[in-house]
Amino acid sequence: MTPRTEEAFIEHVQSGGQVEATDWMPDEYRARLVKFIEMHGNSELMGVLPEREWILRAPTLQRKLALTAKVQDEAGHAQLIYRVVEDLGKPRDAVLEDLISGKSKFHNVFHYPTKTWGDVGVIAWLVDAAAIISQKALLKCSYAPYARIMKKICWEESFHILHGRDVILAMVTGTPKQRELVQEALDRWWKPLMMFHGNQIPAEKDPMFHWRIKSQGNEEARQQFLDGYVPQIRELGLEIPDPKLRKDEATGRWAYTEPDWDELRHVVTGHGPMTAERLGFRRASRDETAWVRDVVLAEAA
Amino acid sequence: MSSPAPPAVDHLLRLADDELILGWRDSEWTGIAPFLEEDVAFSSIAQTEIGHARAFYELAARELGGTADELAFDRRPEEYRSSPLVELRLVHDWGRTIARHVLYELADAIRIAEVKGSPDPDVAGLGEKIEREEAYHRMHAQMWADRLAESEEGRKRLVAGLEELWPYALGLLEGEARERLTADVAERLPFFTPPEVEPVERGEHVDEWAALWEEMTMVRRSAPGGQW
Repeated sequence: MTPRTEEAFIEHVQSGGQVEATDWMPDEYRARLVKFIEMHGNSELMGVLPEREWILRAPTLQRKLALTAKVQDEAGHAQLIYRVVEDLGKPRDAVLEDLISGKSKFHNVFHYPTKTWGDVGVIAWLVDAAAIISQKALLKCSYAPYARIMKKICWEESFHILHGRDVILAMVTGTPKQRELVQEALDRWWKPLMMFHGNQIPAEKDPMFHWRIKSQGNEEARQQFLDGYVPQIRELGLEIPDPKLRKDEATGRWAYTEPDWDELRHVVTGHGPMTAERLGFRRASRDETAWVRDVVLAEAA
Repeated sequence: MSSPAPPAVDHLLRLADDELILGWRDSEWTGIAPFLEEDVAFSSIAQTEIGHARAFYELAARELGGTADELAFDRRPEEYRSSPLVELRLVHDWGRTIARHVLYELADAIRIAEVKGSPDPDVAGLGEKIEREEAYHRMHAQMWADRLAESEEGRKRLVAGLEELWPYALGLLEGEARERLTADVAERLPFFTPPEVEPVERGEHVDEWAALWEEMTMVRRSAPGGQW
């Protein structure tokens, strides 16, 4: 049972207390939760699109099985996450309508094109690695139903990273041409990856941290990503396209070229290189199968 | 790979190619099915079909040499033995997709029963294993066919798909298995009367086949001799 005043509620969540779907919660908390969790669900669903076309091109039976399973996981995550949003008061249909009309957002990385099989490896390895850092921090989310599903999601994401790393390993130890494909993909994805965790707003000024929807700040997540993955990337002999990237041994902090935050804002507000095409594709496939939902839901009614 | 394979191996390749290409077509629904639940279900079915294809290719490779991957990806388009039914591109038409799904699963049940009776113990054993998984595909297909058939709109679309695809479904099988399929379809799909038609025989590929092959093999061809 949560306290009934906003002040006491904030104290509750800030001291590590959790909130259940049936508990009282301030309107602002509910609205922020819906927006945040909805964007997460949208990202899982839109994340399917850059990868699904590569299921059809996967170069071995094993890769095809693994990639299908990965994309299937993501569709399953979207389903789980949308259910949490539904309990907070926004039905799945409304969520999908807002997504395809461009009213709601999805993660920056899913607005970019996937050009080669190298991109498939980089996405599964590094995009999922960046994602799992954010998602692990959500295990401590003040909203308990969301924190609970994050356990399953994190567990599955950890397999995606292994799959991605394996794809990359096979290619960098393959032919020079394959190695080149990986380096080019890394060059394409580095900037979006550096933007992934958001701007450097201090945690104490971040409203999502204030409500303990997030349990860590953006920069902390990015530093964790760099700590974990820069050495691994370099170990494979790949070059990271940022001349300023280095670790300050005294502070333990990574320095890097400041990402273009205007570009990030521009991309996530619907102006990424692939935004229109992917939303158009999602809208078209939704329209084409609308009759199925009409027929089945009419029967259920 | 250019000389014709002996009949038993050719049979394995037909089974493997059908399962590979159907799994390929099924995975086209991943992420864009009418319900998120069906994204998950169709992806799961696609994975099982691809798994079966791999097992059949491995058996074929005992005779032909090479690996399952080489058989799956490195043949010329004209060397594939897949049936036209599985090659047709049916996204985003859910009515025709369910029609193919149910016809394929009913035909495949007849074929898998034959595989289980093979004198080759490896082949028969694989048939046993596959049958356990295909039973779930049949339930899924039947559930969707029945569900669509309950409404006027759904039945119209499903039956149009069944009518169009029936000659293709016959072509998946040979000899008296075709009569058995006709009887099974009449029994399981009471809202559809299978007409007497000329089967669309295996051997010719459909128009969409060239594009499918191009896409399926493009990554491998992009870096010849690579490891993936």
